[in-house]
Amino acid sequence: MKNKGSILGIVFFVLIGVVPFFAAFLYALGYSFGVLGILNDGFTTRFWEQVFISGEFLKSFGYSAVIALVSLALSIGGALWVTLKFRRELDKKFLSFMMYLPLAIPGVVAGFFMVQLFSKGGFFARIAFQLGWIEKTSQFPDLVNDSLAFGIIVTFITMLIPFFTLLFLNVYKNERIEELSILAQSLGANANQVTRRVFLPIILKKTGVLIALYFIFLLGAYEVPLILGQESPQMLSVLIIRETRQFDLSKISEGYVVAVIYTIVVSITAILLFLPKRKTAYEI
Amino acid sequence: MKSSWKPYLLTLIVLLILFPFIFMILLSLSSSWRFPDVLPGYFGFKNWVTILGSEAGLLQSFIISVVISLAVGIVSTFSGFLISRAVFYHKNKRILTLFAYFPYVLAPVVFGACLSYFFLKIGLFGSVTGVIVAQFLVAFPYALIFFGSFWNKKIRSYEDLVATLGGNSRQTFFKVLLPLAKSMLLICFFQTFLISWFEYGLTSIIGVGKVQTLTIKVFLFIKEANYYYGALSCCLLIFPPVVLLYFNKRYVFKNLV
Repeated sequence: MKNKGSILGIVFFVLIGVVPFFAAFLYALGYSFGVLGILNDGFTTRFWEQVFISGEFLKSFGYSAVIALVSLALSIGGALWVTLKFRRELDKKFLSFMMYLPLAIPGVVAGFFMVQLFSKGGFFARIAFQLGWIEKTSQFPDLVNDSLAFGIIVTFITMLIPFFTLLFLNVYKNERIEELSILAQSLGANANQVTRRVFLPIILKKTGVLIALYFIFLLGAYEVPLILGQESPQMLSVLIIRETRQFDLSKISEGYVVAVIYTIVVSITAILLFLPKRKTAYEI
Repeated sequence: MKSSWKPYLLTLIVLLILFPFIFMILLSLSSSWRFPDVLPGYFGFKNWVTILGSEAGLLQSFIISVVISLAVGIVSTFSGFLISRAVFYHKNKRILTLFAYFPYVLAPVVFGACLSYFFLKIGLFGSVTGVIVAQFLVAFPYALIFFGSFWNKKIRSYEDLVATLGGNSRQTFFKVLLPLAKSMLLICFFQTFLISWFEYGLTSIIGVGKVQTLTIKVFLFIKEANYYYGALSCCLLIFPPVVLLYFNKRYVFKNLV
């Protein structure tokens, strides 16, 4: 009975968790090499060559990686600062709930809110007008759909700082950093040394895999860059969907080339992150 | 920084956190808010009364979203719980878990784009069932990985103990495993419910605009530049997660690190 249940469990796992992923990947791979698809008539590497010659994928990949890195670095920095300065205050019931509130805001709403705040006819543009800083909307700086991805980065940061703060507070308690800090101080360490030698190493080591995982999530983010991004370059997911859903059927294969490369990159990252034998601390 | 500044900074942080919620509610109650006015021309419940009727079908979208998220949450949680036992007791559990991570780390919208052909072939394209199945394929790996920490040596010992005392597998499941996993099942349900509730990209691809969940509605209103209705949809989208968080905030990070 036990064995039968286990075998059935593994069969269902393969059917639900493994087969769809590999079916999707093989379909994208077949499409990218011209084996599948309405207008394709056989194996070709033409679409792969075109993707690398046009350079749009590499630009999009670099653009997405930079946005993800900057957003992550600023969010982690901000969250570490809040954790260091306000850990005792955030233990209180009301403030603790306040920190959880931003987690209830999905990317779609966050993107919409940023448009309302930072667009040329938005909340801050109105205030700037009332203060006499601008006379017409065009004078307000481009803060959404802009080339520096200001809107996207600010949205990611506002979504991530509360999450990482709560995460770090959790690690702070679980790893008994308070007690370790007192011990370090009693052994002669100053506040700066406690932060650099005790607080930061423990927090970053315990959350390292999760931080890397969030980098991958940001790399593939869709809703926020769709609302706040510019036409070119676009973030990876937006580019893939634009290419694979377009009316020009001859270009769809190139979209699947990008999808295949993206899938390979995140899969390799997943292997590097989760295959090495780790303790349960890294299991989500 | 002197500690005397802390209350002011904390107040500022609280105000910044509350600002999007207050702004969205105010925007949903406004109309005729033209540039450069700082305050809206109209302020009242007109939008809510209009939209919750039949005009934009927002109530219908809310119900569809609830049905889809409940279905995804329930099915993912129970299948994740049952199947994770086989996976995490397997001798090759590390390799098997790694396979579960692939769809987990992949952007759902890209996963959906590559899967859409199969959904079209089996007739699930543009239907509520199709959206539920597609979201389930994303939520299931999360649930499976989530329950990984549950199937530990202690649980195994309990199972062995029940078997030694003469209990069968049905009794082990209903009298031991389910009660022990109750709180984790609840958290997993909330998390998978939220995964589904927040989902836009995958839903837009598999639902092809026919299945109009709240996230799809928000996008439609943004495209139409109808920000008042957009804000109203956002309010409906935010409300259930806030309630869920209020009751479950202490569990959110329990299994994360």
